[in-house]
Parts: sequence; C-alpha cells; structure tokens
Amino acid sequence: MTTDEATKSEGEVQAVALAERGEDITPAQDRGVLKIIKRPGSEDESPMIGDKVYVHYKGKLANGKKFDSSRDRNEPFVFSLGKGQVIKAWDIGVATMKKGEICYLLCKPEYAYGSAGSAPKIPSNATLFFEASNASELLLDFKGEDLFEDGGIIRRIKRKGEGYSNPNEGATVEIHLEGFCGGTRFDCKDVKFVVGEGEDHDIPIGIDKALEKMQRGEHCILYLGPRYGFGEAGKPKYGIQANAELVYEVTLKSFEKAKESWEMDTKEKLEQAAIVKEKGTMYFKEGKYLQAVIQYGKIVSWLEMEYGLSEKESKASDSFLLAAFLNLAMCYLKLREYAKAVECCDKALGLDQDNEKGLYRRGEARLLMNEFELAKCDFQKVLEVNPQNKAAKSQISVCQKKTKEHNERDRRIYANMFTKFAERDAKEAASKTGVEKAAEKAACEKSLKTPGAK
Amino acid sequence: MAVDELQAIIQRCQILEEADFKGEDFNLFQVAGQKCLEAGYAPQLLEVIQNEKNKVIVKNMGWNLISPLVRCIFMYQHEDDKREHCLKILDQLAQLCNPKELFLSLLEQIEQTSGEQVCQTVMLLLQPLQTVLLKLQNKKAYSVGLSLAMIMNQLTPLPVPYTKQQIQEDKLGLCQCCNAVVDFAKPFVNEIVKNMEESSEYNDTELKEELLKFCMKSLKYPLLTAQLEQIEGIEEHPFRCFATEIIDILWDIRELIPLVFLHRKGKGPQWENQEFADIERKNSADSLACLSYLMFVQHFGIDCFPVVFSPSYLLQCNMTHIEVLLKRTEESMLSKGLDLFESCLLRMEDNGLLHQYLEFKDFINVPQDLVKIMTLCPIEHLRKKSLNVLQLFIDKFDTEGKYTLFRCLLKTSNHAGVEGYIIKNIKDQIHLSLTKACDNTWFTGHHLISLLDLVLLLPEGAETDLLQNSDRIMASLNLLRYLVIKDCESDNHTGVWTTLAKIEQNFLKPLHVGLNMSKAHYEAEIKNKKENRREAHSSNTVCSVTVSGEKVPAMTTEMQLQVLHSALFTFDLIESVLARVEELIELKIKGEMDDNS
Repeated sequence: MTTDEATKSEGEVQAVALAERGEDITPAQDRGVLKIIKRPGSEDESPMIGDKVYVHYKGKLANGKKFDSSRDRNEPFVFSLGKGQVIKAWDIGVATMKKGEICYLLCKPEYAYGSAGSAPKIPSNATLFFEASNASELLLDFKGEDLFEDGGIIRRIKRKGEGYSNPNEGATVEIHLEGFCGGTRFDCKDVKFVVGEGEDHDIPIGIDKALEKMQRGEHCILYLGPRYGFGEAGKPKYGIQANAELVYEVTLKSFEKAKESWEMDTKEKLEQAAIVKEKGTMYFKEGKYLQAVIQYGKIVSWLEMEYGLSEKESKASDSFLLAAFLNLAMCYLKLREYAKAVECCDKALGLDQDNEKGLYRRGEARLLMNEFELAKCDFQKVLEVNPQNKAAKSQISVCQKKTKEHNERDRRIYANMFTKFAERDAKEAASKTGVEKAAEKAACEKSLKTPGAK
Repeated sequence: MAVDELQAIIQRCQILEEADFKGEDFNLFQVAGQKCLEAGYAPQLLEVIQNEKNKVIVKNMGWNLISPLVRCIFMYQHEDDKREHCLKILDQLAQLCNPKELFLSLLEQIEQTSGEQVCQTVMLLLQPLQTVLLKLQNKKAYSVGLSLAMIMNQLTPLPVPYTKQQIQEDKLGLCQCCNAVVDFAKPFVNEIVKNMEESSEYNDTELKEELLKFCMKSLKYPLLTAQLEQIEGIEEHPFRCFATEIIDILWDIRELIPLVFLHRKGKGPQWENQEFADIERKNSADSLACLSYLMFVQHFGIDCFPVVFSPSYLLQCNMTHIEVLLKRTEESMLSKGLDLFESCLLRMEDNGLLHQYLEFKDFINVPQDLVKIMTLCPIEHLRKKSLNVLQLFIDKFDTEGKYTLFRCLLKTSNHAGVEGYIIKNIKDQIHLSLTKACDNTWFTGHHLISLLDLVLLLPEGAETDLLQNSDRIMASLNLLRYLVIKDCESDNHTGVWTTLAKIEQNFLKPLHVGLNMSKAHYEAEIKNKKENRREAHSSNTVCSVTVSGEKVPAMTTEMQLQVLHSALFTFDLIESVLARVEELIELKIKGEMDDNS
C-alpha cells in the first residue's frame, strides 16, 4: 500500500467515524456540521465573536484528496470569528473550540461551498472534512478586535447582532450603555440619538464611531483610548480627568439608517445641507471639533460630486460647499491636522480663488507646518484681496521672523558641515589617483537610483 | 596602429602598482581600447585582456571599455565572428573587473539605451550584470534593487504585445526580455529562500523588499496590460510564463499570501510625504488588482491559497480590485476587471448574497461602473460582458438586495436602455413573488408600490423625449400590462390597483399627450421634407458630423425620411401597447363591478 492510499483510507475511516459518532453542532440541528474532539483544549475559554483566531488545519475531500493545509504555508490561518469571512461550517465549528483543542469536522456542502463549488479545487456539492487545531496556544490570548487599526477602540462582542447592516453616520440609534472609568461606573442610561451627535448626550465620539460597526441587537464591550473618549478636556460632569481611558458596555437595541447620498435628490440634499451646517457651527462654537467635522463632512459628501444642477441650485450648492470647506479647515486647524486643513482650503479656493478666509487659513496651516514661504504668499494674497486685514499683516512679519530663525539654524548646521567637507577635500586632493572618475561615478549612484527605485 | 597604442599604454602600466595609476592612464587606455574595437582588432584586445600579466590593469581600468564594446556589438551582424569576440570580451570583463565600477558602468549603459534598443541592450547585459552583482560585497541588496528598478523603468514605455500575432512576432523583444529578467533575479530569490530556511529569524529584509518591489512593478507592467488568457497555437505564452514566475517568486519569499489578503492592514513603508504615500497606494492598487486576477481567474498560485474563505468574503475583498480595474478605459484592464468580477460571482449561490453587502460603498459603485461600460465603452464584447455580469450580480443578491440595487440603478443610470432592462428585471422578480412561495415582501405590497413610483412615470412629463426613452417606456408598459393581467383588483397582491390613479396621472395621461405631440411633430416634419425634396435638390448641409476624425457623409433626404418614419413606427408601437393596457384596466374594473353587482 502506498502512502497515498494509506492517507486516503485513514481519511475515509475518520469521515465514517464522524458520520456515525460526530456531534451535530449546527444551531438548526440538521447534521450539516459534525464534530469529534481528538484532543480536548488546555483551557476552558472559547473565542468570542469578532476575535482574531489562529487555526492550523488540513482539509480533505470525500475521496480523501487533500485540498488545503495551513502547514504547507508554515503559518496558522488567521481570521475574525463569526463575521462570515469563512465558510459557515468554520464560523460554527471554531466557535465551539477551546484553546489548544484539536478536532475533526465534517461539513455538508450547504455549510461549505454549496452547488457552486470553489474553482479550481472544490467541486460542486462537495462534503468537506477538516482536521483543525486551535493554534491559539501559540499566543497568549484571542485578540479583541481593533476597530480602526490604531488601538484606539477595542471591541469584544458579548452577543452578536443580526445581519451585516450597520448604522451609518446620521442614523438614529437606540442604545443602552454603561460607562466605566477606573472600575467605577459613571454613566448608565437608555438613549436615542443620531450617530455623530452623541456628544449632545454626553457620549464620547468613540461610541459614535463604534456604532457604525455594530449590528442590530449586538451587545459588546468597548475599550476607548483617550482620543476616542473625552480627550484632553475630560468630562467634569462625570468627574472624568483629562486623557482618561474608558470602558463602555453597549447594546444596540435598534436603529434607522440615514438616507444614502444616492437616495437623495438635489433638493433634499440642499435642504439637509442647511440643517447640518447649523449643527456643525453649534458644535464648533462649543469646541467639539470632531463632531463638527462630521456635520460639515456630510455637506461635502452630498454635494461635491453632484452634477446636473440648475443654475440656482448650483449657486446654492457652491455656497454650502465653500462654507463647509472653510469651516472644515478651521476645525482641522484646531485639531492640529494641518495637512487636511490645507487640503480643505485648496478646495475652498478652487470654488473661490480670492476667498479671504480660505487664503488666511491656508496661511495659518502652512505656517504651523513650517512652510514659511508658502504661508507668506498666502498672507500676501489676503492683503491683495483686503488691504485692511491687520491679522494678515502681523502674520507676514511672523513668517519673516520664523524664516530668519530657521535660516540661521540651517547656517549653523551647514557651517559645521562645510568645514568638514573642506577638510576632507584637502585630504583627497593630496591622494588623488586615477580612480577619481570611478569615485565620482559612485557618487552619481544616488542620482541613478532616483528614476525608478522608489 | 590602434593595437600599438594599446600595447604602449599597457607596457607603461604593467610596471606600475595599482595605486599609482593616474587619471591620464585611464583615458589613454580607454581611447586605445576603443580604437582597437572600432578598427576591428577585437581578437587582439581579447588577448590583451586575457593575458595574466595585465590582470591588475584590467581589474582597474576594464570597466572603461563597456560603453565602446556595447556600441560595437550592435554594429555587427549576429553571426559575425567579430561579434563573437566582442561577446567574449564582455564575458571576460565581467569576470575580471572590479565589481563596483563595472556595476555602475553596466547600469549606465542600460540607463542610456532607449527605444527599439532597450530589450536588446538589457538582454545583452543581464548576464554580466548578474555575475557582477553576485560578486558584490557591499550594498548588494541595494544594487540588485537598483538594477531591477532601472531595467523595469526602461521597459515600461514599450508597448506590450497584445494580439496573438504581436506576441508571436515580439517585435521589440519584450516577451523574451521579461523572462530573461526573471532568470536574472532567480539567484537572488534562491539566496533569500536559503537564508530563510537556515534561520526562521531571518531578518535581513532588504533584499526581500527589493524583490517584492520588482514583483509589484511587474504586475503593473507588463502584466496588467498584457493579454493573459491562453491563446490557441501558442504553447508557451510568454506573459503567462512570466506571471507564473512572478507568483513563484512571491511565494518563495513568503509574500504572496500577505499580499492577497492582508493588504488592508496598512502594511508597507510609512511615508512622511502624503504625496508619496498616495502614489505608492495607487501603484500598489493596480498591482494587487492584477495579482487577484491572476489568482482567481487564471488560478496561478491558487494552490497556496486557503480554501476556507466564504465566497461572499472573497467577493468583498476583491471588490476593491474590481473597482480599480473597471474605472479604467483600456481593454486589457476592463476585461480583467469583468473576468475577476464574474469569477467571484460564479463562486456564489443565486440569492445567496446578503443585502447588507450593499452597505459597502464599492458594492454600490461597481454596478454603476458596469452601467458606464455597457453604455459608453466602444468595445462591443465588453459592453455585452458587462451586461451579463450585471445580471449575474443581480441574481446573487437576496430579494431585499435586488430591490435596493434596482432602486439605485434606476436613479443613477441615466440611460433609457439600462432603465428598460432593470424594469424587465423588476417584472421577473414580481413574477417570482406571485408564483413562488418565497420571500415576497419586497416585490409586492407597499415596497413594490414605492418602486413602481420610480418606474411608472415619464421623467419629464409630457415633454419627455419619447424616442430617446422608448426602451424604458415600453418596458414600463409591459410591466404594467403584466401587473394588470396577473393581479386582480380583489386580490391586489401587488398593490397596483391602489395606486392606479397615481399611475394614470404620472404616466398614462402624459404619455397620451406626449404621443400626440410627437406624432404631430414628426408628421409635420415628414411633410416638410417631402415638399423640400420637390423644391430644391441642392443640398446645402447645415452642419457636418465627424466621428473619430472621419467625416460622416451628410444624410440624404431619403435617409432622413426613413429615420422619421421609423420614429413614427415606434410611436405607433407605444400607442398600441398603451391602448391595450388601458383596455385591460377598464375590462378588469368592469369585470369586478359586474361580479360585485
């Protein structure tokens, strides 16, 4: 008997055993996924929905032919549990596994690739057989889900919601929340609000952001970094200090989505633009810049790409867009995101090239980015538009002062450098040889690299 | 003469120490060598170079000969003995010269070549370049990367052979050259593989990065532009071979799997300058789209790919790539995008795609791109394919998904033909809802009515251009006729009877008015034309039309009349269906009343 035949019959034996003795782990109890534990797990903890799971596995078809193995790739397979990333049998099967467990799974086509199969390896209506080991033993823990890949919001789902639908920005949500800081509960309420406007109910921006990734009925724990919490300002009302880390437990009871941009006609967009502009300004005045950005951003998303407008509509739309870009620029200045501020000013100036505020704010942003010359140009243009603008005048002198300081610093640095160069040149002149040309060439290496290397 | 000059300088230098060579010696050597080559004394030059006594001289000065040597090689015919001698010299120089100077000299040659000579030059110099790189001690990874980048950069402006004939002819030698470049890269790939096998902690990622860059670049050019389907009659399709090799390299350096499904994780170099980051992202978007096409459509490297992902997730991951490809206008990229989309959809069961996927922006954007292709693309087979793929996409959604998609397409397509097509799809869905005991909440009752509001109307009332909109109007009338026949007023499953007054107001009445106006207008026009024909045969055209630079001949009066008549025919057709629909409505209402009395 060849090895090939050996594995084949081994596979068959396991498949038969599974069909006979396997435990039906489908919620519908339709024997679509059968499981036998080969080696029980080391700990009693199962992964939660949304967790990153690490699995080593080998997959075979009913005829014993191996179609896939993570061992061939030398690394465990990683996926987010319960999100529909993998075939149904896996979302169901891996959720039942404990850390370090090894098990066999037999999966009916309805829980795998169905009648369509998966070209080129899985034929139509194939029953699949897996040997899976939960490789989390390689790691300390299942990892919670990092919602924005920046460590700012970590989610662990206690109860999964229904479907894939999430509230969008502007959706009306009904939630229950409990907020904790340093182990003390500071907030507990049922509340209905519009996503992006949680601040009206003393809810930090991180919750708004996280809600956009939650589903109806979901119950989860959210770990918020300060940036997504109450930030530098803290929240005196709850006795929360600056830059505090927060933990929230949130249940999304229900929500109604805001209309997508394509569902709205121009008239509706213009009406809504007036409303959100007001809201944005209100947030701005209260110093809630992140919230203001959301409101002004809506105007941009609705109107920036709108075409086929009548003359009157187009005028109204341009004026909303101009205001939105100018205000966004202001918000980004406050949030110290200067590149974004410049981008918004550019767009505003695209609509109105002599806009005084646009020029001034771009100047401010550039000044803060240490682009003194460009900043100075902007302020000079402000003066061309409005010679009375005193602020611009004083900014120009700031630019000049900064340029001077900067130049002096440079000079000091370069002065050192030049002395060094001079010394080296002297040395080299003394030992000049014919290889000189080659040395020069080597120096050119850099210029050669530029065309395509990066 | 030339040989004597060379001998003289050689003899002078033979007695010197390496460090004592002067600048003028380099010049004299180069000039003499060049003269030898030009005068056809290559054998003598070869002898000098091979002479053991001249080892030090050649080591230091040999690189100077590369430029004249390359020039000479291109002067001679392929079978010429002199060419053979020159090639031997090149080979000797690669063995004997200082690697660092020779490397730069070779690279300079590649940099300076252009146009039709690029591939020839690259192929000529790949072997010596490889030899030299393998000998380099310092900055090897950097130099390998520099060479590959330079070569790819030089190749990029060349047109990629696309048709079978072009590929077989390979006029500029690009096909051959690409595969030669892969061979050039192989020893370096093997080096990485060996190092990784020896220690799992292998952290010298520099060489790996450079090869990764080369692969990404190759995916974008030439592969994204190339025709990668199997071609009958070409056994070894050069670009398919090249693609296989590139994927093998990615697999060997263990970057394939991370590229295909970890790219969302914001991996890669962090650029301080936003502009660079954008360029990098855009470039890699093209390359990654091509990689996905190769794996999922052509099944290159699919053996390594995990077979546990759900089809919907694969579609979701590929949607970004599909969108990138469908936004382009080149045939090679559009057809790749359509193929990739199709292959992802074919993995799914009908009605199996949850409507929630429409929450993802690209799921809404991509069908709109399809519409653009099917209405604006000048290439017929792509227009057809695009329509087929759109139907496939519709078929895969659950009923709510279909419903949302129809709404979106009706609102965004701005094309009567597409709208007509969607309306026909709506009719099919209503039929399924009425005849099968499946989920029918979306294509009956109040949901349907709100959809019908979008369908059963004239976009601009009675002033709508009926000819332009005839596809849409006919489809709407057919749908209405179907509803009236299939659904009785007493049942009113679809809700059409409730909303009948509105339909008459928004659709049937303005259609009557519009038909009357249009017919009158066209009849008058025909009468006019006929009279004009009798009056003056001198055709002074008012304006001329040009299509892609060619002037379209002015229409004769006969042709104009034909067009006008066919318009009238269309109006008649609409009118007759309209009459039939109204007749049916009346009959049904009367029938109901009779039943009730």
